[in-house]
Amino acid sequence: MISKISHLRLFLPAVLSCGAILFAGGCDNSIHPTEVLPPLEASSLDANAGNWRMIVLSGPAQFTVAAPSAVSSPTYQAELSAIRTAQSQLTSAQRQAITYWSGGGVLRWNQITRELVAKFNLPPAPAADGSYPVPDPENPFGDPNFPFANPAYAARAYSYVSAAQADALKSAWYWKFQHNRPSPAKVDPAVNALMPVSDLPAYPSEDAVLSGVTVEMLKVLFPAAVEEITQKAAEQRNAALWSGKASASDIAAGLALGKAVAAVFVARAGSDGLRTAGGNAALWQSLADAAVARGEIPWISQESPARPPMLPNYGQVRTWMMTPAELIAERPEPPPSTSSDEMAREVAEVRRVVDNLTRDQLAIALKWNDGAGTYTPPGHWNDMAAEYVRDAQMSEVRTARAFALLNMAMHDAAVGCWETKFYYFNPRPSQLDPRIKTPIGLPNFPSYSSGHSTFSSAAATVLSYLFPEATTSLAAMRDEAAISRLYGGIHYPKDIEGGKVHGARIGSYTLRFAQQDLSD
Amino acid sequence: MRTPNTEASISRSVRVIVRGALVVLLSIVAVPPLSAQAADDGIVMPRKTLSVGLIYGRESWNEYWEGGLKRTNANLGTVTTQSFSIVGHYGITDRMTLVSMLPYVSTQASEGTLHGLRGVQDFTVAAKYRLLTTPFTQHGTLSALLVGAAAVPASDYTPDFLPLSIGLGSRRASTRFTLHFQSHGDWFLHGTAARTWRNQVKLDRVAYYTDGQLYLTDRVAMPGVFDWKISTGFRKKRVYIPVSLVQQRTLGGGDIRRQDMPFVSNRMDFTKAEASVMYGLTVPTDFAVQFGASTTLNGRNVGKATALTVGAFHTFRF
Repeated sequence: MISKISHLRLFLPAVLSCGAILFAGGCDNSIHPTEVLPPLEASSLDANAGNWRMIVLSGPAQFTVAAPSAVSSPTYQAELSAIRTAQSQLTSAQRQAITYWSGGGVLRWNQITRELVAKFNLPPAPAADGSYPVPDPENPFGDPNFPFANPAYAARAYSYVSAAQADALKSAWYWKFQHNRPSPAKVDPAVNALMPVSDLPAYPSEDAVLSGVTVEMLKVLFPAAVEEITQKAAEQRNAALWSGKASASDIAAGLALGKAVAAVFVARAGSDGLRTAGGNAALWQSLADAAVARGEIPWISQESPARPPMLPNYGQVRTWMMTPAELIAERPEPPPSTSSDEMAREVAEVRRVVDNLTRDQLAIALKWNDGAGTYTPPGHWNDMAAEYVRDAQMSEVRTARAFALLNMAMHDAAVGCWETKFYYFNPRPSQLDPRIKTPIGLPNFPSYSSGHSTFSSAAATVLSYLFPEATTSLAAMRDEAAISRLYGGIHYPKDIEGGKVHGARIGSYTLRFAQQDLSD
Repeated sequence: MRTPNTEASISRSVRVIVRGALVVLLSIVAVPPLSAQAADDGIVMPRKTLSVGLIYGRESWNEYWEGGLKRTNANLGTVTTQSFSIVGHYGITDRMTLVSMLPYVSTQASEGTLHGLRGVQDFTVAAKYRLLTTPFTQHGTLSALLVGAAAVPASDYTPDFLPLSIGLGSRRASTRFTLHFQSHGDWFLHGTAARTWRNQVKLDRVAYYTDGQLYLTDRVAMPGVFDWKISTGFRKKRVYIPVSLVQQRTLGGGDIRRQDMPFVSNRMDFTKAEASVMYGLTVPTDFAVQFGASTTLNGRNVGKATALTVGAFHTFRF
């Protein structure tokens, strides 16, 4: 017997599904994976940027860019012809590349660097015997990949990319205004300007300078990503050509200059102390012994199996704006003794907060967690800075300066903070009271002082100088990032206070450089 | 991103209120099961019959699949998820049953420093409609059922602390088709399959990396899910004993990377074997108890979980 089907009833389950789909927001799964960057139309050419103070280069003319051929020369005319031909056959992929890079080369490379950090920010997995393999720069594709782009490594990586870009572009600006050759779209009415083309001289091409300097830095910092980095760099140069912004000789000269500048920074990176930052078993033990000798409970790894501390010698890595003596002089006062009543109160406070955590506090802890697999706290501040920079419509050279200042301050903050952490070797709250459970991952290095607080304070100091109108909200973000570590149950209030003061002091060194670099 | 979380917290409060109101509303509209125990079985309630049940579930695992790699993690030890669920089934007509469920979930890791989470998880409502019942061969009767279901997070829990989050925080809708063969003897054979659509999830952070890409947004696209189940077993007046094989396939999403944490949109796949016993008591009448167990045979980006459930149901006839 086949039952008679009422159509109304048949459709009830279907109607319910549809209603649910509507309720669920139309099952809208469209998301925008990257920041939208409008075509960059710089509010100023920054024609004097060639005179801005260099970070590492001896001066803008350390590398010479020979004079280009005249616009009337057959060589240059042939280059124009090649652009016209390319423009007549643009594919949609090529047009997309133009749109992508028209958002600004420095901003795009900053995004790419954040992605590389997130990609490589994974700690090595333990081997079967409980040991941890060390990422090997000579075998970057192995397991584990090189690098483990933890916050300290990432702070340094962002700073090298940004500082090298800044010096390379200052040099490029110097030569641009020495040679004064306009862009193809300005010279030849038959060449379309498919990106905003300004009166900025095109020789050497700033896009090619950026591609050359960045690709060489990133290849050293993230060698296992060589393929994607190289492709992006080539795309940037092509986009400059296809868009009528630069000719083949503009690009060749820019690429050569970018690579030459990169070599100086690569050499510096090779001898800045990172290679020995991981230390060895004897060093790890000596740090614990020193804490015991001071009458303190030493930090221990709470990971299982116990993991060596993250880059214990990172405090000896070379800074950008501080001498080693200055770094030591700025080290915060000691934390409360692990046996003091004051420390007992600190521990109790962490436990109270974690056991009574509100949903809003958890949201703040998660918002700023920036742990394994993310672009790290320095990446988070770059993410925020990118929005201010985008809205300010700065020239490429001024954008590079902004990121260089931000990232040099955060690198120096990382070095200063790591020096402090491993000097005091102070245990985490959950070590002193195992009842403290953390709503975010527990970092595998000593507690005092808070890295987030130090990074954020240094970053807010520099960004408030660059974007004074945002000072109040930057301070609020700094404070929220800092307190998020208490909500996360991984830092004492004293770690946070100490880190914030320390970060501001470290940031002031970069600030002094910025105020005197002749860019204002 | 430029303002601290005040704005987010206001909008969160509003969402909680809206969700809370919805849950209350739906609870009134959709009354709660007895012999019908789930949206994916082949059973519909008689008209004007209400079954209300309370189910306790305990699921644990100490091995999980990181992508395709099965491993342990001494920083988690054994992860245990416990749940108390209120379930209700109501026969609107002899053909149509409304099913609803609301679990309270708590999680815990036996090792390591990570904090467990707890809270009300997702409210589910489903309409189960028997399309047809027809004699099939000389051995029994075949039924076909269509089920539409919707689920919505009933609290503002975070899906961003896996494996200790209490759920995935996604609103979802699904359509299910079920074929149920009941023999004139007391055994049955049952097959069901469903497609689920899941809405995007909002995180408390503004960037995440998954499936080979950095996403500079707090929104996570959630891939759809396909699941199927075949069951066989024994069903008599008071006794219902199904034994099932279940498989879930997530239609997209990335793997957990080496030594990374799980992520909400990961490709979570599994194959499980399940068995349960439901028994209708004679004293008191209209009471039934249920015991269930399941084990994970294979998986990807999920724990190799073993689960036990205990439930009690009462039926009301109007």
